[in-house]
Amino acid sequence: MAQVKKTLIVTRFDPDKDQAPRTEKYEISVEPDAKVLDALNHIKDHVDSTLSHRWSCRMAVCGSCGMNVNGKPKLTCKDPVSNYSDVIEVAPLANFPVVKDLIVDLEGFMDKFKAVKPWIMVAKERAVEAGPTKQSPDELADFKQFSMCINCMLCYAACPVTANEPDFLGPAAIALGHRYNQDSRDEGSSERNQIFRDDGGVFSCSYANQCSEVCPKGVDPAGAIQQAKLNNVIDWAKNLVVSRGGK
Amino acid sequence: MSHARPRLDAMKPKTAGPTRTADPRPPDKFPFRGNYGPYLLFGSCGAFLLLTSLIAVEFVLALGGGEAKYDAFMTRIHGGAYRGYFWIALLGLIWFTVRFLGLFPKTQPFRFGPLKRPPDAVMLAGLLGAFVALNLVVAVILGGMLG
Repeated sequence: MAQVKKTLIVTRFDPDKDQAPRTEKYEISVEPDAKVLDALNHIKDHVDSTLSHRWSCRMAVCGSCGMNVNGKPKLTCKDPVSNYSDVIEVAPLANFPVVKDLIVDLEGFMDKFKAVKPWIMVAKERAVEAGPTKQSPDELADFKQFSMCINCMLCYAACPVTANEPDFLGPAAIALGHRYNQDSRDEGSSERNQIFRDDGGVFSCSYANQCSEVCPKGVDPAGAIQQAKLNNVIDWAKNLVVSRGGK
Repeated sequence: MSHARPRLDAMKPKTAGPTRTADPRPPDKFPFRGNYGPYLLFGSCGAFLLLTSLIAVEFVLALGGGEAKYDAFMTRIHGGAYRGYFWIALLGLIWFTVRFLGLFPKTQPFRFGPLKRPPDAVMLAGLLGAFVALNLVVAVILGGMLG
């Protein structure tokens, strides 16, 4: 198959040399069905070995290769070069500090993930003799969609609230917390809702819906956040009537 | 009891490390690309609520100020500037409502008790139908076509 010529304009940043990110142009030939990640790997292997970018699985599962391609957050392993004209601009994900070239610092977001307590919380540990906890298909369907997140961070790069309010928990973290709130085995929703109602929680979201549009796995974090808002209002109203611990 | 979590600033590394990072960049072409424009317009529609509320307050004051003030107010709001504003506000209201209703279905839980959530298209059609019907009823009442 005849190769196609593409010009990649790649954002470069070397913390040891550069004061600020700059761009570099690469003219390469790749297979017509190549993905943007293949093009970057071609540059790394054959043109400029100093280029740094993250990737791992190459099948849209690990969430490592998220970048801004022609201005939009994309998983580059899933994004064919044929989607674009001859010129493709590749930049690191927006709203994140840049460590080097196309690699961003995700450490702050790891803290946000932990902050929403993304694990099943129970008041009392279930005895092994009691057997497995059962869950019906309907109960599974309540949260399954939100558990498909691969933490690729495209939603954070697209979120205008994150751009303006760094304290915002953000789409993926809230969707993850909401996923556990919806899980029939979990008993920690009250605790999580306190975190959701805090500054930078669900009510900071103004529903631009851009996170759901860029999500490569159809998780719909914007939907999760709005559902979490509704649950929080109900939870707050219940707490007004029933004192805490007075079950 | 405070449940405040420590501030988590994702725009900065958690601890100062040996690696210098470049500042985060805003989303490309913000706010003129993707959903950012509609998102800002959506928020801006609050201006119509504020201005229309001020007109309503003015109306109440005129109503309580006697017939002359009321007549002057009615004359004023039939002027060109007010008419222009009302048309813009009407278009803003329609656009705001259509976007709000378009986003509304997926804010609902997947189940309402034992019932599954209806398909988004069905919910949207119902909501838009109710919006149109409500406006028709209001138009009929305000147009004096009843009684």
